[in-house]
Amino acid sequence: MNSTRRGLNRALLAVLGLILIGAGILAVQAGSSRELAQGWTRTGTDLWARIQDQLAAARIPGQDTSWWTLAAAGLLVVAAILLVCWIAAQGGGRTNQLATREDAAGTTTVATDVAGQAIKAALAGNKQVLASTVQAWQLKAGSGLRITIQARAGASPRDLVAALDELIRGLDALLGEEIPVLIRIKAGTRSRFARTERVA
Amino acid sequence: MNQNTVIRRMGRRETHSSRSAPSTVTALLLFAAVLWLLLETALSFTGNPPLLLAPAELIQHAAVLGTATLPEALLAAGAASALLGILALGAAIMPGHKPRHVIENPRSAVVVERGVLASAIARTARTTSRLAPEQVTASVGHKGVEVRIHPTSGMAVDPVAVREAVESDVAGYSLARHLKVNVAVAPHAAVGL
Repeated sequence: MNSTRRGLNRALLAVLGLILIGAGILAVQAGSSRELAQGWTRTGTDLWARIQDQLAAARIPGQDTSWWTLAAAGLLVVAAILLVCWIAAQGGGRTNQLATREDAAGTTTVATDVAGQAIKAALAGNKQVLASTVQAWQLKAGSGLRITIQARAGASPRDLVAALDELIRGLDALLGEEIPVLIRIKAGTRSRFARTERVA
Repeated sequence: MNQNTVIRRMGRRETHSSRSAPSTVTALLLFAAVLWLLLETALSFTGNPPLLLAPAELIQHAAVLGTATLPEALLAAGAASALLGILALGAAIMPGHKPRHVIENPRSAVVVERGVLASAIARTARTTSRLAPEQVTASVGHKGVEVRIHPTSGMAVDPVAVREAVESDVAGYSLARHLKVNVAVAPHAAVGL
């Protein structure tokens, strides 16, 4: 439910994978064929000589370096910034505002805690629920709510979903609009160690 | 976007890996390499001795790598690089299922962990066959349910009845993916359970 760009992650990993596979195949071939290894060195040396000519042609006046080196350094800076952006694109999008509405009288904001407290209070009497957490996330259209509940071992998912449906109907009435809701029913250490409820 | 699309999208995102861990690791490694290259460039620009290798030397080494390195080393490095590449490509292409199932619901996206389903199924199976909790184990996979029963010696367990009970129970969960139920009764019953 967070705003991770999943397509971007997969595309970049695919590109990197293809590059690594290509480099690996080249190295394996160079390792197994003497001819290809010599070709590599020949091409590499030629290329390096040509690059050095270019570097010498575009020397910065009064300096020992060329404009090309400066441009390469600039490219490296851009690459570093893009990589930081890629890392920063993971996760995020959490919000503490569940809903906002503007009208003539002003802006009304509902905090996530309102829904969180209401849901916790409503689930407190349910023996099949060990714990619950509520978080809101920024979606394309407004906010979405994620309710995570930890089920007691042996609790029927059908009963849990029925109880939560009831709860969300109440939440819809409270907020006056239907916001997207994600319910996650999980097991955990507490589910493992808590006693099973004998009367279902 | 209408509500159904949003619900389906949330369910799909919640049951598949976002690949953020391999992405972060990859980006960090590449970032370290880029920073090192920048540092070396700056050092050579200001005329200081390089940290490990000056950029010009680095390119020089790469140009003659084919003949300057032992063929065995090239083979090993190439195989390692191809293997890493296959791993990255696999992470990009494979679906990356999380151990969760989607429950059909008209109002919300509901996702339930396999462990929760398994413990509910084990409970149903043991109440039908009237066994102790330790005698029944259930595990839920991507496509099916596996129930294993260790009966008490002298008391027969009807696998068909257990299967029917579990199937009707699972049908009641309204899971998006149909799960095939398989019940296995251990051939050797135990005494004293």
